[in-house]
Amino acid sequence: MNARKIFKFVSLIVILAVGTWLLWPPSDEGETAGAAAAEAPGGPRAGVKYTIRFSPGNSYLPGMTPDGIGSPLKGLADVVADYEKLHPDTHIELVTAPVGVREYLVTQLISGMAPEIINVNVEDVWQDIQKNWYVKFNKLLDSPNPYVKPGEPGSVRWWDQIKYPGISRGTAAPDRNYYCICYDMVETGIYYNKNIFRKVGVEEPKDFEDFMRICQKIKDYTNEKGEHPYTPILLGQWTMADWCLDLFFDQFYAQITPGIDLSAGQDPERELYLKHYLDWDEISFLRKKGFFGKKDPRWREVFKVMYRFRQMANRNLTTIDPIREFVTQSGAMYWAASPFTYHLMVDKKLGFDWGIFYMPAFTQATSKYADGHPMCVIGGPGTQYEITNSAISDTGNPETSERLKRVGDFLYFLMAPQNYIKVVNETPRYLTNIIGVPVQPPLQPFDDFLKRDYSSSKWMFTFDLKFSETLLRMLDLYLNDGITLDEFIWWIETSLEQACQNIELRKPPDWAELQRSWDSKAPARAKMKDLPDEAYR
Amino acid sequence: MKPTDSTDIYRDRHYRLWFTLGCYGLLAATVILLTVFIYLPVAWAFTKSLYQFEIGGDSQFVGLGNYREFFNDPTLWPSFGHMLFLTSFAVCVRLSMPLIVAKLIHSVRHEKWRYFYRILFLVPIVVPGVAVQLIWQGLIYADKGLLNEALMALGRGNWTHGWLSNPSTALISCAFVGFPWIGGFEVLIYYAGLSGIPDSVNEAALLEGCVGIRKFFKIDIPMVLSQLKLILMLTIIGGVQGFEGMLILTKGGPGFETTVPGLWMYYNAFSFQRMGYACAIGVLLFVLIFGLTVLNFKYFKSSEEIQAIQ
Amino acid sequence: MKKKHWYIHLVIIFFSTLTLTPFAFVINNSMRNNTEFYHKFFGLPEALGVLINAGAATFTNPAAIFETVDENDEPIVVEAREAVHYAWMRLTKSYRQSWTLIRPYMLNSILVCLVTATGVLLLGSISAYILSRYRFFGSKAIFFFIISTMMFPGVLTLVPAYLLVKSLHLLNSYWVLVLPYVAGGQVFAIFVFKSFFDGLPEDLFESARIDGAGHMQLYWNIVLPLSKPVMSVVLVMNVIGTWNNFLWPFITNTDAKYHVIASGLYVLATSVHAQNMSTLFAAYMIASIPLLIMFTYATKPFIQGVTSGAFKA
Repeated sequence: MNARKIFKFVSLIVILAVGTWLLWPPSDEGETAGAAAAEAPGGPRAGVKYTIRFSPGNSYLPGMTPDGIGSPLKGLADVVADYEKLHPDTHIELVTAPVGVREYLVTQLISGMAPEIINVNVEDVWQDIQKNWYVKFNKLLDSPNPYVKPGEPGSVRWWDQIKYPGISRGTAAPDRNYYCICYDMVETGIYYNKNIFRKVGVEEPKDFEDFMRICQKIKDYTNEKGEHPYTPILLGQWTMADWCLDLFFDQFYAQITPGIDLSAGQDPERELYLKHYLDWDEISFLRKKGFFGKKDPRWREVFKVMYRFRQMANRNLTTIDPIREFVTQSGAMYWAASPFTYHLMVDKKLGFDWGIFYMPAFTQATSKYADGHPMCVIGGPGTQYEITNSAISDTGNPETSERLKRVGDFLYFLMAPQNYIKVVNETPRYLTNIIGVPVQPPLQPFDDFLKRDYSSSKWMFTFDLKFSETLLRMLDLYLNDGITLDEFIWWIETSLEQACQNIELRKPPDWAELQRSWDSKAPARAKMKDLPDEAYR
Repeated sequence: MKPTDSTDIYRDRHYRLWFTLGCYGLLAATVILLTVFIYLPVAWAFTKSLYQFEIGGDSQFVGLGNYREFFNDPTLWPSFGHMLFLTSFAVCVRLSMPLIVAKLIHSVRHEKWRYFYRILFLVPIVVPGVAVQLIWQGLIYADKGLLNEALMALGRGNWTHGWLSNPSTALISCAFVGFPWIGGFEVLIYYAGLSGIPDSVNEAALLEGCVGIRKFFKIDIPMVLSQLKLILMLTIIGGVQGFEGMLILTKGGPGFETTVPGLWMYYNAFSFQRMGYACAIGVLLFVLIFGLTVLNFKYFKSSEEIQAIQ
Repeated sequence: MKKKHWYIHLVIIFFSTLTLTPFAFVINNSMRNNTEFYHKFFGLPEALGVLINAGAATFTNPAAIFETVDENDEPIVVEAREAVHYAWMRLTKSYRQSWTLIRPYMLNSILVCLVTATGVLLLGSISAYILSRYRFFGSKAIFFFIISTMMFPGVLTLVPAYLLVKSLHLLNSYWVLVLPYVAGGQVFAIFVFKSFFDGLPEDLFESARIDGAGHMQLYWNIVLPLSKPVMSVVLVMNVIGTWNNFLWPFITNTDAKYHVIASGLYVLATSVHAQNMSTLFAAYMIASIPLLIMFTYATKPFIQGVTSGAFKA
């Protein structure tokens, strides 16, 4: 009994000692994988004046192994080391942040603790611009990049360095200011398994009906055992609410834009790239005229076609693990963004050929509202870097802040072609947004997709977060037969009206101007069919 | 029998004053902490529920506007139904399963084995709660997760479901998290209750031939009544205000099919930035819990009386 | 009688299998990389096979050549001894990786748990002692003031408490965890301690007073030693609560420096690290060790405490 007690005591002491030894923060953290993420707050090097915390996001965090296969990333770490060598008074601390967790963002920004440079979808920034949480990029974008050789693009204006100025300009907030730099580009495509296509005897589709036929054929394909082994296409909840909705919406509404694009011709520079784009004030006005509700036949049609498309997809949109289904050859197609290319390239057990095509256009056979114009671009900025209020913590004024200058300087350095190529082209996942840095060959198809017209709306990002959340969830529920189309339309109508009210409270739109523009387009509308009744009055 | 000197001290008014002040001093930390971190926020919640405001923005007095919005909120009322279902389910299983297991372990003869089994059933508590939810969400209920793969392996491919994403199975799947609900400290509590039964009672039962199932219902359950009540109370309170599990498991989806009031409050507060409305939901939940506590208080008394009569 | 025994063991083992299967899965998959996991759901780690084969070969045929892969999936051709090494590195890769990630979180959690538990035990037992053994003006009112906080649901105070700590500039610090935890945790402690102290016989105190013991000595020499089992109940409940509390640290301490294990795991699971499932699974397992240690030591006193009437109120 006594021996047992002694043993218990000794073992407890041993456990405590070992635990302490293990948990003791090491004095010199090596370059272990992932260590950058958990970098100890320890003392910076002597002589450091500026510590810039930089949350590079998913794609480039050194030490991360993309998709869990292959060797860890290190490109960004090298660039940061180069910068610190060049500016010994600056320490760049790479930090990790949860993806798409709004609670994180809000609490960090309120407490002024956010990393100086963060990576968020700029649409999430738009919600908060009136709170002075973010620093404008306008001046930075119009100034020369000091790390670009004289005479090269960017040596006069940073803007000139940007390869896709149109899409990049699309990130302007509703107040027409820029709050981010589009570091890279991403585009979606439909990946398909060539082996399955050959086995079933189908080819890349020419139009949407053809696409549906292919899907049906794959769905009906029966193997020797009498099973239907293939899911035609793998889709997720976000794919439907974000990409699919905007694409299908454009297919039906592009032909009536002459009657409803109320801001046409107002901002020539933006118009160059964002032709037909519907802003929140236009959508708000159009809703009052009966659009985007139960009286708008096109609106119903969008969701009807989505429902039809969804029948070809996996059973669950929310808990799907599409990568797994695609690589194990139970899914024939997968609608995914360009980083998936990398996954397919490094998966050594893959054992099949694959290709990529873009969503094919609707024809009259799909719907009487379709005119057969190609599907628009849905991708765009992949990683977007914002400068937060932490960067101006020294003076509180962006004009005088030395700290902000250093942060900007680091971003210039990061975007200089010689550094940029080390980071973005380390793996073929994202497309370059810098002139003079080539696209990685495996991503070439996506680069071609990006040359299409830009989409005419961004439903998931135009209104407040309550609307996005409701749209995302209710669309999923409707597509999974949880509610009927009428119920779904009611939900969206109600939430859209609430969202419009909220945004109008914050920033009243110029109703008179919108009304004038609306009236001037009456003749154009008179020739169109099946608009809501109000549109003809 | 009181010693004279201490009685004198207690009679001394001067001493009494200092004594009382000393007590206050020692209790001060407790009281201050409670005032600052509980009473103040509660008062704040009641006040702010009359405002419309977002963090970092301005606030605007709207009177009972937030409370009026309850009636137009198509998400709130169904969420109470979900909560009711989940809570009653949790009550049923947490009162029965761990008790059965505790009884089984308790009836094992050798202390060594009992110790071993107790440790075995402790494994689910030592894994952080968040991890348990993440494991259920990502490994068990996933489309190609343990459950579906096991069904496939058993040749029941047509029984597979998108457990958490299918509107018809999501809620029940949430209730089944933790199956068979015997990990956790309930087993320990019941076990302690069972080992607290005096030997005399057990011997009397044995003499009267009251063994096995009959003993379980006639002797064991009445003897662990206070433990059962404790778990009942904790489960109900946890069920009404708990939503962390839902946040991790389903985020209240698909649609709002598994949203509970607490989660809806959380979304309004931290995602939609509608702090005032969130506070109003909090007040509503408080009213509910207050009512339950009052009921429980009454019930409590009566059950104690029953025991006294016995 | 013997037969019945055997039957009970069987039922218990059946239940424990059901309970533990998911965890066995987590352990197994923490040693397999994504490719293995994706291509074969029910499978043992490939590296384990290599480890066994190569391990056997080191004794029988040390010169055997193994074609295998290293931890980054690069193909290598090595001798048995080295193959063992590489296989071991592959098996433990996720543990090494997640260890570097969650070690700071563990440290924070342990720190917060220790400070909170100390605070709760100290404040709780002192307050309960005073309220239980002494009568003075307002003592009942104070007890009522303390105990009625049990009625306020955590959800009601979540939003305002957040606004409060924000205006106190406590966000992203240890204080924002410790202070509210002590404030909330002591209520339960006072409740349990008081009902225990109320049941202590007065004679005990009388005789000590005769010996000339002061208030402090009464508390220190009589009350504390007697209340060890109750203390362990409060301690265990408090540590479990603190360790598992996820939401509060998640919303108040968003700075990675101050993440505790629960919020840290959630952040990991929602961040880019989630792509790497084995890392996550390994993190879950590592995060379970501290409580496992606590329970192997605290189970017995805990059960004693529960039986001695901690919950008999």
